[in-house]
Order: sequence, then C-alpha cells, then structure tokens
Amino acid sequence: MHRPDHQQPLPTEYAVTVRNLTRRFGDFVAVDDISFDVRKGEIFGFLGANGAGKTTTIKMLTGLLRPSSGRGTVGGLDIIRGHNAIKTRIGYMSQKFSLYEDLKVEENLFFFGGIYGLDREAINTRMKELDTILHLSEIRKRRTDSLPLGYKQRLALACAILHRPPILFLDEPTGGVDPIARRYFWDLISAMTAEGRTVFVTTHYMDEAEYCHRLSIMYKGRIVEIDSPAAIKQKYNLPSIQDAFIHLVDR
Amino acid sequence: MKRVWHLVKKELWQVTRDPNMLRVIFVVPMIQLLVLGYAITTDIKNLDILICDQDDSAVSRNLVERFSHNEYLTVKPLPCRAGQIEQHIFRGDVLLALVIPEHFGRDLENRESPEIQILLDGQNSNTTAVALGYCNRILLEFVRDNLAAAAGRNPRLARSIRFIEPVSRTWYNPELKSVYYMIPGIISILLTIITMLLTGLAIVKEREIGTLDQLLVTPLSSWQIIAGKTIPFAFLGFLEMGFAMTFGVLWFKVPIVGSLPLLAVLAAVFILTTLGLGIFVSTMVDTQQQALFMAWFFLVSFVLLSGFFYPIENMPGWVQVITYINPLRYFIEILRELFLKGAGLSVLWPELLSLLTIGVSIFTLATVRFARRAAA
Amino acid sequence: MIKSLFIHLAVKEFIHIRRDPRSLLILLLMPLFMMFVFGYAINMDLKHIRLGVCDLNRTPVSRDLIQTLVASPYFDVIQRFDDPRLTEGLFRQRLVRAAVIIPADFARRLAGSQGATIGVITDGTDANSATLTQNYLESLFLSRSLSGDGMGLPIHIKTRIFYNPDMESAHFVVPGIVALLLIMIGALLTSVTIAREKETGTMEQILVSPIRPYEVILGKALPYLVLAFAIAVFIIVFGHLWFAVPMLGSWTWLMLFCLLYLFTALTIGLLISTLVSTQQVAMMLSLVATLLPSVMLSGFIFPIASMPRPLQVVSQIIPATHFLKIIRGIMLKGNGPLELWPSIAALTAVGLFFITLAIWRFQLKLK
Repeated sequence: MHRPDHQQPLPTEYAVTVRNLTRRFGDFVAVDDISFDVRKGEIFGFLGANGAGKTTTIKMLTGLLRPSSGRGTVGGLDIIRGHNAIKTRIGYMSQKFSLYEDLKVEENLFFFGGIYGLDREAINTRMKELDTILHLSEIRKRRTDSLPLGYKQRLALACAILHRPPILFLDEPTGGVDPIARRYFWDLISAMTAEGRTVFVTTHYMDEAEYCHRLSIMYKGRIVEIDSPAAIKQKYNLPSIQDAFIHLVDR
Repeated sequence: MKRVWHLVKKELWQVTRDPNMLRVIFVVPMIQLLVLGYAITTDIKNLDILICDQDDSAVSRNLVERFSHNEYLTVKPLPCRAGQIEQHIFRGDVLLALVIPEHFGRDLENRESPEIQILLDGQNSNTTAVALGYCNRILLEFVRDNLAAAAGRNPRLARSIRFIEPVSRTWYNPELKSVYYMIPGIISILLTIITMLLTGLAIVKEREIGTLDQLLVTPLSSWQIIAGKTIPFAFLGFLEMGFAMTFGVLWFKVPIVGSLPLLAVLAAVFILTTLGLGIFVSTMVDTQQQALFMAWFFLVSFVLLSGFFYPIENMPGWVQVITYINPLRYFIEILRELFLKGAGLSVLWPELLSLLTIGVSIFTLATVRFARRAAA
Repeated sequence: MIKSLFIHLAVKEFIHIRRDPRSLLILLLMPLFMMFVFGYAINMDLKHIRLGVCDLNRTPVSRDLIQTLVASPYFDVIQRFDDPRLTEGLFRQRLVRAAVIIPADFARRLAGSQGATIGVITDGTDANSATLTQNYLESLFLSRSLSGDGMGLPIHIKTRIFYNPDMESAHFVVPGIVALLLIMIGALLTSVTIAREKETGTMEQILVSPIRPYEVILGKALPYLVLAFAIAVFIIVFGHLWFAVPMLGSWTWLMLFCLLYLFTALTIGLLISTLVSTQQVAMMLSLVATLLPSVMLSGFIFPIASMPRPLQVVSQIIPATHFLKIIRGIMLKGNGPLELWPSIAALTAVGLFFITLAIWRFQLKLK
C-alpha cells in the first residue's frame, strides 16, 4: 500500500491538492484515501451517484468537516492549519441554495457580502458588475421566497462570488433547475473560468460532466477514474461519459 | 380510512426516527415528574426566623422552645440588638423575626397583655401570609397551655375560660401529600404539550417545507389529513399519559381509586380540545416559530389559570370567567377527583360536558379554517 | 474590518424579526397579558372557602359559633345540615371543601371544665388548600376560646410587614414574570434561530465564510438580547406603573443585572442549539428546560427553603433562582450589590458554566 510521505511538501502551483484524504463516520468510510490535483483556471468536475462521497470531500476542503486522515491544500493553504485563511479565498454554493427566504434579494446579497467583509458600496459596485451576466437588478427588491428556482440559483451563485474568490466550490448547483436554466448556468461557469477562476463542481448529471475540463469519477468513496472527458471516453472506447460511468461503476 | 393510516404511519415514523424527539417526549418528562414530584411539597416550611428574647425568663424560653420545635420554622441564631433586626430582614438573612419584650413572663402572669412583635419580609406575600399563620398558631397554643396551667391554680379563672378543641381529619389524602395532587397536574401539562404543541408544529413544518401542498393535491380530504396528523399525537399522548401514570403509581404511590376506562374516555375528550387548539394554532401562523409562540402562550395561560398552582376561587371574577374556557382547568379537576376520590360520571358530568363543548367547537373551527386555508 | 463582521449577522437578524410582525406582536402582547391576568389572579391566600356546617347541638352557643364562621372572610358557609352522614356526599359532589361538625353535647361540655371538642374535616384532594383551611379553622376556634367572655387575648400580637405592607401579590408576581419571560424568550429565541439556520442549510453557508464562530454567536445573540431586554424594560415599567410595584433600588443596577440574566438565558439557548438539529426539538427542549423549572424550582412560587435538600442544590443552577433574589431585592427592598453579591456571583457562575458546556459541545461536534 502506498504510504503518504509527510516530509515532502505538497505542490503549491495547483488550486487544490489532495493527498490520501479519508473521512470516516463511525464504521462507514465516506471518503476513502483519495488523491488528486486541480489546476488553476480549470473546471474540475466530481461525478458520482448520491452518497459517493462528493459532498463530504467538498466539506473537508471548505473547512466544514475535519478529515479523519490525509492532507490537502486549497489555494496553497493547508486545509487543517489554514482553514480560516482559506475562507476568504473560496466561494461555496450548496445544493440547497442556502438563502434566507424571508429576506429580499438585495438583503441576502448585503448580508453575505457583509460577512465576507465587503462594505455596502463595494457590494453595489459588484452587483452592477455581476448584473451583466446574472440579471438580478430587476428583482433586487423582491422577497427571496417569491422567486422561481432558477433565480434562486443565480442569487445563490451571486452570493458565493461577491467577494471574487479565486476558487469556487459548487455542490450540485443545478439540482431541480430546468434544462434551459441549467444550460445558462454552465455558460456562466465557463465565463468565470475565463477570468482565471477555478471551479470545483460536483454533479450527478452526466451531460453536465461534458462541460468540465477534467473529471474525476467517484464510486463508494474512491476515485475510480480521473482525466479529461474526451480522454475518458477514448480510454474505454465509449461514445459518452454516461456509458463510461456505467462501465466503471459496474466493474 | 386506509389512506389516513398511511399518514399516521408516516407521522409516527418521523417522530420515532428522531432520537432527540423521543428523548424530549419520554425521558425529559420523566425527569420532570421525578424532580417536581419532590419539589412541590407545597407546604411552606423551613422558613428562617430570628427570635429576640429580651425577657429571657422561664416563660419566654418556653415560647422560644415552641418555635424551635416547629418543623415549619427554622430558628436562626443571629444577634439582635436594637436596629439589627431590620437589617437582617433587609439582607434576606431571615424571612421573619419575633420580638419577645422585657418582662414578658411577669406581664403575662399579671394578665397585663404583653405585646409580642412579629416582623415579616412581605416580598413574597403568599409565603408571608402562611408564615404569619404559623406564628399566630404557635402563639395561640402557647397562650392556651399557659391559661390552662393558670386555670388549674385559679378556679375563678377556670370558670371564665371555655376551650374549644378542634379534632381535625383530612379525607382522601390523610397525610396531606402534595405529590398526590401535583402528579395529576403535571400529567395534564405534559399531555397538553405533546398534543397541542407537537400537532401544531408538525402541520406548520409540513407547510414550511412544502409537503403539505403535496398532501393537499392527493385525493385526501381536509378531514382525512387532519385525522392523519392528529391520531399519531393522540396516540403518543395516551402513551405518555400511561407512562407517567404508571410512574406516579409505582414511584410516588399515588392512589388511583377511580375507573381507568372512564379516565381514558375523559382523557380522549380532553385531547380533542388540545388537538383542536394545535390545528387552530397552525392555521393562524406561517412559521414554526410563530406556532411555538402561540402554543406557548396558550400553554402558560392554561397552566397558570387552571387551579394547578392557585385556587380559582381566589381569582377576581373576570379572571374566573376566562378560566371557564380553559380545558386544562376541567381536566386537572377530573384527574384529581378521579384519582383520589374515585369520582364517577355522576359527579364529573359537568366537566365532561364543558370539555366536550370546548373540544367540538374548537376542533370544528380549526378544521374549517384549515380547509379554507388549503383552498385559498 | 474583520472584527465587525458580526454586525452584518445582527442586521440580518433584525430584518428577520421585522419581517415577522406576528411573532413580534405575540412577544410583546403576551407578557402584557400574562402580567395583567396573573398580577390579579395569583393569590394563594385562600378566601371564600366553601364550608359545610353540621350543627347537632342547636343551642344559642353553637349558633353563635356558626355566626363567627359566617362572618369570617375566609369561609362561605354554603351548606347547613343535620345528619353527619351527609358529609361524605357533600365532598363527593364537590359542594364543600371543608366541613365543621358541632357535636350534640357541645354547649354542655363547653360549660364544664373539660372543654368541648369540635370536628373539622377537610378535602385532601388539594393538599395545599386543605392544609391552609385546616389551619384557619383551628386558629379560629383557638382564638375564640381564648378570647371568650369578652376578655380579649391575654397577649397582644403586633405585626409589622416590611417591603410589601399591603401584601399585594402583584409585588411578587411581577418580578417573577419578568424572570420567567426573560429566561424563556432568551433561551427559546436563541436556540430556535440557530436551529433554523441549521435546518435551511444557511449555517453551512455562514461557516464557510471568514466569520469566526464567536462572531456568529455574538451576531445571532445580540438582536435577541436587545429584543428581550426591551421586553424586560417594558414589563418592569408596566408593572411599576400599573400595579404600583415599588422601585426602591437603582434602575441602573436592575438593568445591568437584567442583562447579566439575559446573558445566562442565551447561554442555555446556545447549549440547546448544540444538542439539536431541528427547530421542533429545540423548541421542545427549551420549553421543558425553562418553563417548569423556572416556575417551580426558582422560588418564584414556592420557597426554596421548603424543598428537599437535593432539589435545593438543583435550584442553584437555575438562573431564575438568583435573578429573582436580585430583582425582588432591588425593587421591593432597595438592595444594592452590597447585599446581593452572592446572587450576582452565582448568576455569573451559572452563565459561565453553561457557556463552557456549550463551547465544549460545539467543539466536540466539529471533530
């Protein structure tokens, strides 16, 4: 078995580096000894069925959960020792679109911007900037609970990127949203990487996997394949990621 | 009916899957029953008293002795020179003080009516009133014995005194154990919490997360949904009541003289009112938080206006009128009468009738409101 | 800059409160209603006890005795009967709470040197009232026999009551209600609002941001501290003006200790929030942890000295116990920190105890 070498410093040129990361809940091993690197500026996809360990991995990288063992860096900072410093460099959007339903759109933005240390003026400027792609200004006075899901999703994204994080974690960001909104959302993500931002995204939609620059397929807590979508399809000589996924999981 | 059963099952699953909920429903009440059963020996006792015997004669020492040997009062050995007594009361060292004047023994012998002073801290007027009662009682008994002794020596005095000796009995609870009447009270409060609060919260929670709409689009009628939401909590309520009663009987030896089937019927009627209130609360609010506040409001008002702590007879007339619509008032009365006296329907029918009236009205009102809100 | 991050949380919390006027209304009206009703209703000094009298003697002497009972404010003689066997039925029908039975030889024996006996029966279903009733009746007969023939009592009892000479129950109920409401609102609001964020997932969203855990707690607690404090001032002022509850001590000290007490309430709320994950359980736990103990074990109604020893120990970790001593002491007696320091120290200790427990639980969870 490969033993982690703790003496050797982890490479820092990557946006995210993970070595032998493991998380147990009692007897259950949710994430089992995974290692990978995410390059700066790429869309890195985590593909897997529900319960494959995607969300647990994201939670460990964002500091919501301590790893049982293993190491990792985010933005060059250690995820255990540096988890407070990491927080200013990342944005996080959860699968629940965690917004305050009884707050207005702009109040949600002011709040989330505020806890990242942005003042009102900076948030306003940033909102104008984001408006060209997110189109939230016409609904800024509306209560969040009155919005259709697609808008809530965009609002959640806006809350996550207000503070211009170089690395963005998206945990199943398109759950429950209609295909047109989903397509639009992925355009947004692509646009963001064009600005040099790294996007770390989990999904269980196979079609979405095709948008990623590189893809890691998770199954029962382990990474069973990691490469670009094209390379994966070529390697197994299958026409789509869906086929490759089924092939890998069925093994 | 089968559809309702599915709802009931789902509800029971939800409650029992949450270990925290189970703990709150069963373990916490048991602890409360245990603690409060012991706590509320409402007899007020061990009150701190300061006695200033400025006479220090055989007679006055006899009086001090009587205070020392009283289980309700605890004599505190504190200095009591002039001005210090007030200071002790001010600082809360003692609740009351008794001042026996100089020459008390001599004056009493000469029938010159010596003056005994009682100084009390009136902050808690209830305790104060009771403490004053104890003191008066001890003083009266002292005087009686003193007179009786004097009469033995003086036949002329003996002819002028007429002693009335009360012979007291207490029925249904000869040892005057407060726990006998507190346990029924606590049981009814627990039952109210489970049925009213949990039902209200369960409905509002479904509305909050949107599953209520899911139910409303099914062929289930409003009545069926309500039945599905209330039956599980009625069931839990009964379970809890049985649990608490068993505990009360085994641990605190609370006697249950009356008929258990009758108790079950009366409890069912009571639960009808609290479930109705739970639904009613759920139709008045939008969020769980609001539901909780309203339910809490009802709960506290019910408890304090039920006669559990304070006799209803003592309340001013307009407050007594309010208590007529308080279901807890009737249920506590029912439990006490049934547990200790073994009262039957021939005695308890007014309570049953009141509960039934309140229950049917509130339940109907709540269901109509629920249906209207669902349709809107 | 980073230091003031919690302000954003506090502002957001205020918006939540404002968006929910119904909760706010309930929170403001309920204490008012409670104080109004209970200020009048809570009165343990029994009056108008329903009494049955069975006079087997039927002489002027016995009728004279009954007249004393009729004249007493404590008793309402509502049944007179001739057959002692009817007593049982009267109790069963709940027509009377107590019965006095005057034996047939009452007048004759009273004239003799032995003295006469008289029967007193009470309904023990309500043990508390029964004790009081029995005491009243026995004292009444005693004092009557001692002051017979117009001699007057051989001793003169002079009573002076300090701090509440008119024995107004509102004077002890109002501080009690303040204590009860503050602990409930403080613990309840805090635990529920945190549980709500956990339920909706927004807590995670906050925890991935640079805001520190203590800032989260501060930001969430501050608005409710302000709200509960406003309610406290409102009730105290109302009780002071309407029920004329005196305010002999210093307002400043009282307000300061209200804040200390609220802090303890919030720590209980925090502790509860670390134990639960849903609003429902948070509410239930807050209710059972605060309502009954604060009413029954704090000295609000029953003196702590009367409780069994183990419960006296338990009562010491209930914040209301200490706060009641403080608020009653300040309002009714004019006490200051000089007299109240043991309670103040105890309240502080209880708060620190709960916050330590909460932090310990919180860290346990992260691992």
